[in-house]
Amino acid sequence: MTFSLTRSGYGVILFLAATLVLATAIPDALKQAVTSNAVFIGVIILLFVAFAASLLLHPQEARTVSDIFLLISVALFFWELLLGKLTLLDPLLFPGPARVFAVFGEDYALMLQGLVNSLALLGAGFGLALVTAIPLGLFLGWRKRLFDVAYPLAKAISPIPPTAYLPYTIVLLPTFATASIFLIFIGAFWPLLVGAVYGVFSIDHRLVNSARTLGLSERDMIKKVLFPAALPSIFSGAMIAFIMSFITLTVAEMIASSSGLGWYIQYNHEFANYDKVIAGIILVAVVVIVLMYFFDRIQKYSLRWQNP
Amino acid sequence: MAAIDLKNIGMVFGLNGTRHTALEGVNLHIRDGEFISLIGPSGCGKSTIIDLVSGLKTPGSGEVLVDGQQVQGPGADRGTVFQDYSLFPWMTAFENIRFALEHTRVFSSKKEINAETERYLGLVGLSRFSHAYPNTLSGGMRQRISIARMFSINPKVFLMDEPFGALDSLNRIYMQDLLLRLWSQGTGRKTVLFVTHDVDEALLLSDRIAIMSPSPGRIKEVIDITFERPRCRKTLTAQADYIALKSHLLSVLYCEMLDEIEKQDQEFSERGVPA
Repeated sequence: MTFSLTRSGYGVILFLAATLVLATAIPDALKQAVTSNAVFIGVIILLFVAFAASLLLHPQEARTVSDIFLLISVALFFWELLLGKLTLLDPLLFPGPARVFAVFGEDYALMLQGLVNSLALLGAGFGLALVTAIPLGLFLGWRKRLFDVAYPLAKAISPIPPTAYLPYTIVLLPTFATASIFLIFIGAFWPLLVGAVYGVFSIDHRLVNSARTLGLSERDMIKKVLFPAALPSIFSGAMIAFIMSFITLTVAEMIASSSGLGWYIQYNHEFANYDKVIAGIILVAVVVIVLMYFFDRIQKYSLRWQNP
Repeated sequence: MAAIDLKNIGMVFGLNGTRHTALEGVNLHIRDGEFISLIGPSGCGKSTIIDLVSGLKTPGSGEVLVDGQQVQGPGADRGTVFQDYSLFPWMTAFENIRFALEHTRVFSSKKEINAETERYLGLVGLSRFSHAYPNTLSGGMRQRISIARMFSINPKVFLMDEPFGALDSLNRIYMQDLLLRLWSQGTGRKTVLFVTHDVDEALLLSDRIAIMSPSPGRIKEVIDITFERPRCRKTLTAQADYIALKSHLLSVLYCEMLDEIEKQDQEFSERGVPA
């Protein structure tokens, strides 16, 4: 199979190749203290492969794909050239890419462990919010009178940032895990609740009437009619909820944990290992991108009835 | 047996401070197996009557009886088709009918439900589209599924609120014939309460037509339509008594409206046309 490259597509190849040459042919400055640039080279090759794969999978969006990859490869090239090879800035604060990516090789066990711990907390807190906020939101939306009571309360409580509860929660709850699950739960709860309530509010009442003429029980009405009908709104709530819980998680880990993504960044900051701090941030970014991708897929599949 | 009785129905809505009498002194006895159409200009309370019989609304005064029993909220003994909001958009054609079957009738196995669902989809000629979502189907196809759903739950009465109002004229003709064909099949015709604003549609389908007038909504006149069934669209519309009935219906239906328009015109000409 052949595909033609756009001008920015050639740019991607040019800049990635140039970066690869820089990384392999020219030795790093001593100040960089790069133990091995194998991971960095791996990343460059990975970008090549990802670029080719994206072009093959989305040939109709070749221009956008090329532009995005061009941006990444130009940034990587100049990072390597200016900070990695020429060390124009203090390498302690501004390490080159070879140094930063080498961290993944050195610390992968610690990072993997942190990732697993973080995702477990995130899953538990977010999952707990899903199974409580959605049914409650649907019910509040359905029973207008209950909503009228709950709304002023929710309006007062919901804007409190979940991290404000952090010190007190840590004192009250026995372990860091339970405390952070609780905080993630709080962070995800409100957006999900609001999504479910407004999802019910926005349902065309004629659709509800149509369901009522089938003589459904209230339980079936909520589960089988209100829930799917409110799902588009629940998903937009879930997106905010997910971001909120991720922020809460990393902050909680930075303050009170001894493992996890947030902890890894904070811990290395204390030792002035800024290469590791940057590597930690990159890891968080990759995790968020991957999770968002799956979120998007689930959303598209669940709402496949929306767009013909 | 499933007769519908409306006894001295009155209904008042409060609309931002003003009171609007939607229905006043409505009396109507609909016989078992009868096809009756409600016809009238918008705002005359046609749809409100459908809502009362289906149990979606309760009357301010008077009684609604189905089968001699007072209506207590919605139930699957009355099947409904609305203009374009009967189907659940998140379910395929197949799932929409199966959902209705699951919640209204008792089956011994999943296989049986699926077979019954297939049968009703086939009845309206949509077997090929069983896995399509309503959004991907035309308005006519959606209404065919709604009708299949209504027939599938086997209610005592059919309540249809301008079911073909959003369709183009060719689709409408097709749907009217389909409805008549399905309705006349088998033993024991269902009682049908059919809301429309199309005089030809009412004449083709009905045993009786109730003409309504607005503010306050009431039944002005009930006309027997005695054309023999099955009715043939072509020969029917050429008959002299069809034409006479139609012009009578139109005159009753529109005399008030025409009066109103004439009055407006007169006021307008007296004031003078603004430049």
